[in-house]
Amino acid sequence: MKFLLNPSRTAKQGAQINVGKDDEEYRRIVTTLTVSAADMALLGIAEGDWVLVRNEFGEARFRCEKGKVPDGMLFVPYGPPTCRLMGGSTDGTGMPTSKGWEVEVEPAEPEAS
Amino acid sequence: MGGKVTCTLGEVKNRADFIVFWGGNPAECHPRHFTKYSLMPKGKHVPNGRKDRTVVLVDIRETKSVKAADIFLQVRPGKDFEVLTILRALIKDQAVDPRQVAETGLTLEQLTDLVARMKRAKFGVMFFGMGLSMTRGKHMNSAALLTLAAEMNAFTKFVAMPMRGHGNVTGADVVMRWQTGYPFGINFSRGYPRYNPGEFSTVDLLVRGDADAALILGADPGATMPQPAIDHLARIPTIVLDPKVTHTSRLARVHITTAVTGISAPGTGYRMDEVPIPLRPALKSPYPTDEEVIRRIHEAVCAKPDWIHANGQYTTNQV
Repeated sequence: MKFLLNPSRTAKQGAQINVGKDDEEYRRIVTTLTVSAADMALLGIAEGDWVLVRNEFGEARFRCEKGKVPDGMLFVPYGPPTCRLMGGSTDGTGMPTSKGWEVEVEPAEPEAS
Repeated sequence: MGGKVTCTLGEVKNRADFIVFWGGNPAECHPRHFTKYSLMPKGKHVPNGRKDRTVVLVDIRETKSVKAADIFLQVRPGKDFEVLTILRALIKDQAVDPRQVAETGLTLEQLTDLVARMKRAKFGVMFFGMGLSMTRGKHMNSAALLTLAAEMNAFTKFVAMPMRGHGNVTGADVVMRWQTGYPFGINFSRGYPRYNPGEFSTVDLLVRGDADAALILGADPGATMPQPAIDHLARIPTIVLDPKVTHTSRLARVHITTAVTGISAPGTGYRMDEVPIPLRPALKSPYPTDEEVIRRIHEAVCAKPDWIHANGQYTTNQV
């Protein structure tokens, strides 16, 4: 199923960066994907279930949480998993496209810690 | 029209009565911005603080910042440039195609109301974030917003300012600008600065595999850059200076632990309005400062003999 993935920043993520990225809490934050209730139903998943997100550049697993986001759009804090989905081209600007990625999503097994 | 019509955050605090946040979520990403500068403080020309200000938020979703705004405009993803261009037409009373307005997810009534409010303002400011500058359109989106802010000065005072993040990114841009004339993406290999984003910018150099060594200072590209760039950093000798072990440290050949600037090392930080702030450390650190490590590396490089190519050409250490 196709979605628009928008990596973003959160206050918790920003605070955790200063605590340390080796922490389990950091890993939890950057693998938590916010999905609308309708899209969760469409995917046939419940809160806490894992999904595999894939695009032309790579794939990564995320744990889903229900949130008030528009249907068809997914949100996740930036981190190593989003790096795997980010294309290397900068369109001549120096900055890769960091939001608005078209991705395929399917239910998946939890990521090994 | 080009350039950035801007001001300091002090002017925002004391004068701004109309605030637009476009593609940014300050409630999460800049938690002190509302209370120190843009919403709550009482200023010289806005004596009643929040009551004297109108706040507009433009975003693709309802973020936590929506609660702080008077007006929320939910734009369709990737349609910021179109909305800004329509606003540029509307402020000049030019006709716009209703079908093009409909594509943005907003209505003509919403946009004409926004234009009327912008023109009524005494001092308007447009803050813009990564939701505008890092989606499709990128610098063209930013340029459209900066042009709108500049053109609004035909009617009233209006300025624009990017919502910069991450400690001192503004400082890196400002210092590079006054040293070389360019903010980033600079190549010194000929002994003088050349600027070309897309060619000399870090991500592009790494993704193409052009760099054969990397010195990383105050950044963690291993957790922020595209995977092909990270893979190249792991292939080449990478040296990291950071107070903490980061994802980049793990793929680097060398990690040098340094003192934390502002906490245990002095320095200068630049605010998002490019005002330099002296940083006075409250604590002492057993680790050297970034500046000290770079100076010692610099001295060691200077002590090396000139590099001579097999064809007889040589390069002196131009540092």
